[in-house]
Amino acid sequence: MRQCTLHHKVSLASFTLSAKVIAMSTTEAALENLRIIRSLMEKAHIYRAVSAPAALTGGLLALAASAWPVQHALATQGGSLMSPGTFLDLWIAILLVASSLNVLLLAIEAKRRGQPFVSEGMRMALRAFAPPMLVGGCVGIGLIVFLHNLTLAALIWVLCYGLALLSTSGFSPRSLVRLGWAFVIAGLALFLAWAANSDVRLLSSDEAPASLVMGLTFGLLHVIYALAVFLTKKPAEVRPK
Amino acid sequence: MIDFDQIDKLIHEKGRLSIMTLLSTRGEWAFQDLKTELGMSDGNLISHLRTLGTAGYIKETRDESGTRPRTSYELTAAGRKAFKDYVEVLGEIVKAAQQT
Repeated sequence: MRQCTLHHKVSLASFTLSAKVIAMSTTEAALENLRIIRSLMEKAHIYRAVSAPAALTGGLLALAASAWPVQHALATQGGSLMSPGTFLDLWIAILLVASSLNVLLLAIEAKRRGQPFVSEGMRMALRAFAPPMLVGGCVGIGLIVFLHNLTLAALIWVLCYGLALLSTSGFSPRSLVRLGWAFVIAGLALFLAWAANSDVRLLSSDEAPASLVMGLTFGLLHVIYALAVFLTKKPAEVRPK
Repeated sequence: MIDFDQIDKLIHEKGRLSIMTLLSTRGEWAFQDLKTELGMSDGNLISHLRTLGTAGYIKETRDESGTRPRTSYELTAAGRKAFKDYVEVLGEIVKAAQQT
C-alpha cells in the first residue's frame, strides 16, 4: 500500500515536471517566434527613397553646374556669372530633373516588385522627409531672395537634406543613412570653414563658395553614394525553373 | 490557462512563419523576393508555399505577360486571420509565463 502511494507520488511529480518543461519550452518557442516576426516585419519595411541612378544623374548635373562658376571665379579673381535669382533657378531646375527621374525609377521598381507606387514605405519616407525639406527649402530661398546670401542658403540646404535622409533611418538601407551623415558632417565642416574665413565671407560675390558647397555635397557625395550602391548590388537573380 | 493545442502547428514552423510574416507586411510578394529575403533554397521555399497554399492560407498568382513568367503570393482572408490568431496565442503564452 505504502509502495503504491510512493509510486503514485513519483508519477505525479514526474508529470508536473514534464508539464513545466513543456510549458517552458512552449514559452521559449513563443518568444523566439515573436522575435522572428518582429525582425522580419522591420526588415520588410526597408525602403530606398533615393534611387542610385537618380543620385548619379543629379550628382553629375550638380558637379557640372558648380564647376562652371568656381572656374570662372578663379579665372577672374572672384567674378560672378549670374544673379542670385539665376543661381536659385539653376539649382531648382537640377532638383526638378533629379527628383523627376527619382520618382520615375521608384515607380518602375515598384511595378517590377508588383507593389503599389504609393506604398507604405513611400508614405513613411514622405512623412519623414517633409519637415526638414520644407524648412531647408523655405529658409534657403529666403536667404537668396531677400538677403542675397548664397553660401548660407547652400549650407542650410545641405544640412536640412542630410537631416531629412537621417529621419528615414528607421526603414532606410544603411547606404542612405551613411549618405545622410555625410551631408550633415560635410555641411557642419563647410559651415565652420566658411564662418571662420572672413576673406571668403566678405567676397563681393559669394557665388563661387556657394557653388563649391553645392558641388562638393550634392554633386560629389551623390556620385559616391551611387557608385557605392552599384558596386555592392547583388548580381541579378535567376528564377527557379 | 492556455491551451497549447490552440497553436496553429502549420504556422508554428519557422520557415512557414517567416513566409506568413512577410506576406502579412505587404500585399504581394514575388517568389524571387521571398527567396532573397528569407535566404531559403528553391525546394524548401516551394515546399512551404505548397503547404500553406493547400491549407488555404496563401494565394498564388502567375503572370505570363512579360518575357519571364512571374509567380507571386499573397495571404488569403483565412491566412490573414490564422496569422493574427497565431500571434495572439503567442502573446497570451508569453503573458501567462510572465505572470507565473
